[in-house]
Amino acid sequence: METLHLLVVDDEEAMCRGIKRALRSFSVRVPDIDVTVNFTVTTALTAEEAHQAIEADPGPDLVLLDHKLPDRTGLEVLDELNKKNLDLLTIVITAYASLETAVQATKRGAYDFMAKPFTPEEIRGTVEKAARHLITQRQARKLAEERRQVRFQFTSVLAHEMKSPISAIDGYLQVMKKRAKGEDISNYEPMIDRSLMRLEGMRKMINDLLDLTAIESGQKQREFTTIDFEEMLPEIMEAFEDQAHERNISLRYEVEQGITMEGDRSEIEIILNNLVSNGLKYNYEHGELHIQVYRAHGFINISVADTGIGLTEEEQQQLFQDFARIKNEKTRNIVGSGLGLSTVKKLATLYNGDVSVVSEPDKGTTFTVSLKPTSTEDEQNDMEQKYEEVTENN
Amino acid sequence: MANVLFAEDDADVIEAHRTLLETRGYEVTAAGSAEEARKQLEKISPDIFILDVMMETKSAGFQLARDVHSKYPNTPIVMMTGVRQKMDLPYGFEPDETWLPITTFLEKPVDPDRLADTLDNALKGNQ
Repeated sequence: METLHLLVVDDEEAMCRGIKRALRSFSVRVPDIDVTVNFTVTTALTAEEAHQAIEADPGPDLVLLDHKLPDRTGLEVLDELNKKNLDLLTIVITAYASLETAVQATKRGAYDFMAKPFTPEEIRGTVEKAARHLITQRQARKLAEERRQVRFQFTSVLAHEMKSPISAIDGYLQVMKKRAKGEDISNYEPMIDRSLMRLEGMRKMINDLLDLTAIESGQKQREFTTIDFEEMLPEIMEAFEDQAHERNISLRYEVEQGITMEGDRSEIEIILNNLVSNGLKYNYEHGELHIQVYRAHGFINISVADTGIGLTEEEQQQLFQDFARIKNEKTRNIVGSGLGLSTVKKLATLYNGDVSVVSEPDKGTTFTVSLKPTSTEDEQNDMEQKYEEVTENN
Repeated sequence: MANVLFAEDDADVIEAHRTLLETRGYEVTAAGSAEEARKQLEKISPDIFILDVMMETKSAGFQLARDVHSKYPNTPIVMMTGVRQKMDLPYGFEPDETWLPITTFLEKPVDPDRLADTLDNALKGNQ
């Protein structure tokens, strides 16, 4: 519930009372943003009084302005209001229902006009239209501002994340150039290894960033095909076999029979690759990684369970944000961009699903992504809608 | 031998600088976060600080600089940052007594010799 302050500027007290009465217990629904608006009405009998009311904080949201005031014309007041550049809408009331005044008023920034005499119904109709316009306009401004903030936040963190490895590698190269550890190259072995690892991290970040921006920009062509998980899983797992073998991690996967869904194959691959790759990276040597694809409650679930380092409650909270890299001694030698899980979450949202995590430090972590399979054309359309929302909001 | 407390969330950056600072006669105590730096301060009292800006939060280093300065008003503070100009921080970026009580600002990547020179000068100015 939101309350708009409406100021009536009219020297006829009867008119002020009439408008007050018409708007008492009147409310307007703005369906697009699901908000109900009601009104508090105050009055001013002269342009001078109107000025005081407008200067007050908080000032009015809507002004019903009579054209004929004892000390000035409504149009003059309108000009003064314009100079102040206020966040309000003006409706001009005129007894001379001439087109001329109406045109002049709208030219000078009035949102609407009304001709006296008017019925309570008419005043309510005009106020309703103005209120909807004002609320929608404010909401749009707020969203645009939030988007700018989010983008700025993202860019400044991105700059930091990209510059960190440069500083690190730069530092190591300076040490080598100055021969700070003597002439023997083997003294620099750990620094060379770390530098290579940081470069690998940058490469990974650039790739993940490209995935993420492709999804968010809405530019990526989505190709819908029937995805058969029984066929897809072995292909994905094969790519990780060497990595698992190197660290003696046993890989297991089970796919419920006959699970298929309509989707973009590359998107589902990004989800699986990110989760399996995390499950290996954050696992202990000789650990286990268990992937399951199954149906439950109308969703297709992909769960990836590792026996790795796990996450604290606090870490779980920030996990799905952009660049939410968990930094501690255990993760120091693990290459990651901090973008993988936020990408997984965004993709899951595209399929009307979500991602959840259950974890215990030093025991392991299970990520479960749930995706809603679509079958009818309506549902496909809903999904396209969802896609537009997700890409628009970023 | 002068003792430096080096707060920086990138362990590689500390490691690279540590190697050179040690050849220039500094002993480096590393802290991976502002919080860790506060804990270290319970055990040691350094001769000089090197602080990164972005650690737990994007301005954790500033808060740490203010805390450190109020506790050790005569100990020089050298600040390093990777994103000097382009950040929307709620205050000026130039050092001043109240907001940013630091001796010198360096932009990353910092040449390790330049860092050591800066520490030398800051300590000299302090005597």
